[in-house]
Amino acid sequence: MKNFLKAASLAVCSGGLAMAASISTVHADEWPSDDVRLVVPYAPGGTTDVLSRRVADLLQEELDANVVVENRPGAGSTVATGRLARGGRDVDHTILMASPGHTIGAAIYPDLAYDPVEDFVFLQNLIDIPNVMVVPADSPYDSVEAFVEAAREENMTFSHSGVGSSIHMSGELFKTLTETNMTAVPFAGSGAALPALLGGDVDVSFENMPTVLSHIKSGDLKALAVTSAERSEHLPDVPTLREVGDYNLDQFVTTAWFGLIAHESFPQEAQDAMQEALEAVMQREEFLDFANQLGAEPGQVAGEEFKQFIAAEVERWQGVAEEAGIRQ
Amino acid sequence: MEIVSEVLQLFLHPENFLAIALGVVIGVVVGSIPGLTATMAVALALPFTFSMEPVAAILLLVGIYKGGMYGGSITAILIRTPGSPASACTLLDGYPMAQQGHAKKALKTALYSSVIADFISNIALIFFAAYLAKIALNFGAPEFFWLICFSLTIIISLASGSMIKGLLAALMGILLSLVGLDEVFGSQRLTFGNYNLMDSISFIPLLIGLFAIPEIIEFYRKKAVPHIKAKASGAGLSLAELKRCLKSIVRGSLIGVIIGAIPGTGATAAAFISYSDARRRSPRRDNFGKGEVEGVAASEAGNNGVAGATMIPLLSLGIPGDVITAIILGAFMVHGLTPGPILFQENLPLIYALFMGIMFSSLVLLVVGNGAIKYFSLIADIPKAILFPIVLMFCVYGAYAVNNDTFDVWLMLGFGVLGYIFNRAAIPAAPFLIGFILGPMFEDNLRRSLLIGGNDLSIFMRGPITWFFIALTLGSIVLALYRYVTARRLPTRADTSQDAP
Amino acid sequence: MSTPDHKRGGPIRDPGDVLAGAVLLIASAVLLFYLVPNYIGEPPVLQNPMMSPRWLPRIVGWLLLGFSALLIMQGLLVDNTGKEDGRRIEKGPRRRFGLMVVALLVYVALFETFGAVISGILATLILFVAHPVRTWWAYSLVIVFPVLVTFLFVNVMNVPLPVMPF
Repeated sequence: MKNFLKAASLAVCSGGLAMAASISTVHADEWPSDDVRLVVPYAPGGTTDVLSRRVADLLQEELDANVVVENRPGAGSTVATGRLARGGRDVDHTILMASPGHTIGAAIYPDLAYDPVEDFVFLQNLIDIPNVMVVPADSPYDSVEAFVEAAREENMTFSHSGVGSSIHMSGELFKTLTETNMTAVPFAGSGAALPALLGGDVDVSFENMPTVLSHIKSGDLKALAVTSAERSEHLPDVPTLREVGDYNLDQFVTTAWFGLIAHESFPQEAQDAMQEALEAVMQREEFLDFANQLGAEPGQVAGEEFKQFIAAEVERWQGVAEEAGIRQ
Repeated sequence: MEIVSEVLQLFLHPENFLAIALGVVIGVVVGSIPGLTATMAVALALPFTFSMEPVAAILLLVGIYKGGMYGGSITAILIRTPGSPASACTLLDGYPMAQQGHAKKALKTALYSSVIADFISNIALIFFAAYLAKIALNFGAPEFFWLICFSLTIIISLASGSMIKGLLAALMGILLSLVGLDEVFGSQRLTFGNYNLMDSISFIPLLIGLFAIPEIIEFYRKKAVPHIKAKASGAGLSLAELKRCLKSIVRGSLIGVIIGAIPGTGATAAAFISYSDARRRSPRRDNFGKGEVEGVAASEAGNNGVAGATMIPLLSLGIPGDVITAIILGAFMVHGLTPGPILFQENLPLIYALFMGIMFSSLVLLVVGNGAIKYFSLIADIPKAILFPIVLMFCVYGAYAVNNDTFDVWLMLGFGVLGYIFNRAAIPAAPFLIGFILGPMFEDNLRRSLLIGGNDLSIFMRGPITWFFIALTLGSIVLALYRYVTARRLPTRADTSQDAP
Repeated sequence: MSTPDHKRGGPIRDPGDVLAGAVLLIASAVLLFYLVPNYIGEPPVLQNPMMSPRWLPRIVGWLLLGFSALLIMQGLLVDNTGKEDGRRIEKGPRRRFGLMVVALLVYVALFETFGAVISGILATLILFVAHPVRTWWAYSLVIVFPVLVTFLFVNVMNVPLPVMPF
């Protein structure tokens, strides 16, 4: 019933009758001294948003402060990120849920007003979601090798969830490395892209694991490979692209990563407090269950290591974007 | 028998009933505030559901979804501020009705047709989910393309005054919808380097701007008229009127169900198709757009027929058809459930418990809605001089809330001025909205088909679904031309309607 | 646009339609010959002209051009001014209209710098004066509503409205 009291207070407040919804816990000199804002650079719904709300809920308990989720969608996450980079008065209490859009956005959007690496501090990589190379159930190809050989002969189509998504860029990377003929077919989000794949309208996709996992298990889609460095425990029989070895695919390791970043002037004590809280959050059962549900691995890197990872990613996607002619 | 007891065990839980009731109330309240949408309420309620039982959690969100849909129609009818693009269709007849002193009747019509449509749509969800999901899978880009073409033909029937002006409005809508990043190449189109335009123009500022603001501007452009107190906002809906609308409601619900089962088309197209269909068939055709009960009923039926049906691709395929179902999908994930074929195999009792809850939510909506109408219809009695400044304030705050950016406030006021100019030039706003919504779908599916088919045009005629929609499109155009010509031959009757606001 | 006379003589039967058509004609010409070539990027290699980002804007532009020409013709030939299409309104005093414009400008210019509460109070007050509202107690709403609604948006709906001018 406790949840109901919470939910009920939302209802009462909607009527403008109660004011008790958000009483901030203010401590005098230790961080956080105010509500923490967690900026989601995408619209509500979708993995980034749900993950952020789940993490905010847990972080709230660990930090003993309100964590307010704020959606600021626009231009593939670059609007919110640009705004964070500009700073402002509450920049020491603002964190942002970054995802592949952060590095890919830097590669495909012209004249960004910020540096995706140097303008931020990188707190913690929370989860990594592998992409899965999937083909329709009745596809004649049962292995990556068979697919590549066929794609060198005739033109193949791959679906993706929008220009600059990790799904799109994985497809372009695959096309570049294997030197095959593939045409990108854009859709407005994974939800719209999935029917085309299930119905056999496109030949292949490099979808995020959670979107296709249940379809793979039910036999409606065939998984040829996963894109992470190691095999996924959700699909233990499916090889990684790195294992394939041939066709330059040993260089193909990519995941949809999600992590928290902040403005470069984020105070050191705040970084330490966040670090401690996030480590605690990542131990929590609720978090691990949720990550597992997404087919994700808990993130490995934090701080300086995380930053280096981002720098490498930015460089890689810039190359792919130029090769594919996406950069305008 | 075992499954029945298991289902009942899951469903008959006080928490579930409380969740539905609370959800519907939150939805109606939030949806009826201009600028605040059911989407925001669902996103905000999501964290509260993390610690709830899965069934109750989903039902809370579904309740908000349904309540919010109805709440959006309340503002559309009373103050010409649609809460969602779909309820923009409701205001075409709902607002004139409220202006003529029939606010209560319009609100009741909307409620009853919503609930009936909801019921039909839930029945479809329970009995035909698997079948409809199969249709959805056969609905590829070429099929979509023809569905959109058919939907575009309803512009002709909506352009009541002048066909030329209606088409001009639709073209302008299409043009504005193309602003943003190109979907295939990622190149910028008419963004002028402005980051706020890269994701295309947001719906809510456009909707509020186009419909609510011109009404406010016009009020202050006109001479002040003394406020005449209406008599308790008019009578309710009589049984005879409901009977008259019933056919339109059922037809609208079925249209909604089919469109809702196909992910990605959305409630707006359903509402407008249902509306234009009802108008085509109605003997009172000429009264549509001037405060016709059947218009409100048809539009709401189409709109709500979608609400239940969007759960079909969500539950059976794991595909969210709109933003709200995307958030509900997130709630499933948080509770360790993945909608899709596996869920039906592993968690059938849970699905049936959900079905029962969704059915129950229609009933709750009926009760809550009826209670809400009593108070909401009082808004129609507030003098406009006091109501409009406050509505404007809500609109400004609401536009800001969409992206948390002042740019959207400017956008909304800009569209307000455009809408006012439209009114002065007698250019209808509804075709503009349809063009804006369908324009990108038209282009994207055309190009998608070409990409999938490798530039082979035969893909556009690849199967029975495409043939069906080609026939519908052609038939609709021919019928419209026939009507147009015969109407021209008859001597134009004198217009008897009183001054339309 | 303003004179409600029926069946006037002269070459132009419906000046409102002609004006609207002319404005749209010019706008579509600007779109076709300036905006589309300059503000829509086109990839160097295209397999099909229909794939071009410029394809639909161009078609819409030409259709706009054609239909606005038709609208001008219709305005020259057919008189629709007698129709009840909501074009004619009885204009009020300029002060009333002018104050409303000021209220809109308050939102445009001051919303971000002065915050939601102050601009809301100011604009609502201006609109009340514009009508003018003569019930004295209604003016209390001018303060109550912006404060209450801002509170609702910020604290309940988590919308970070700009609240105060600092």
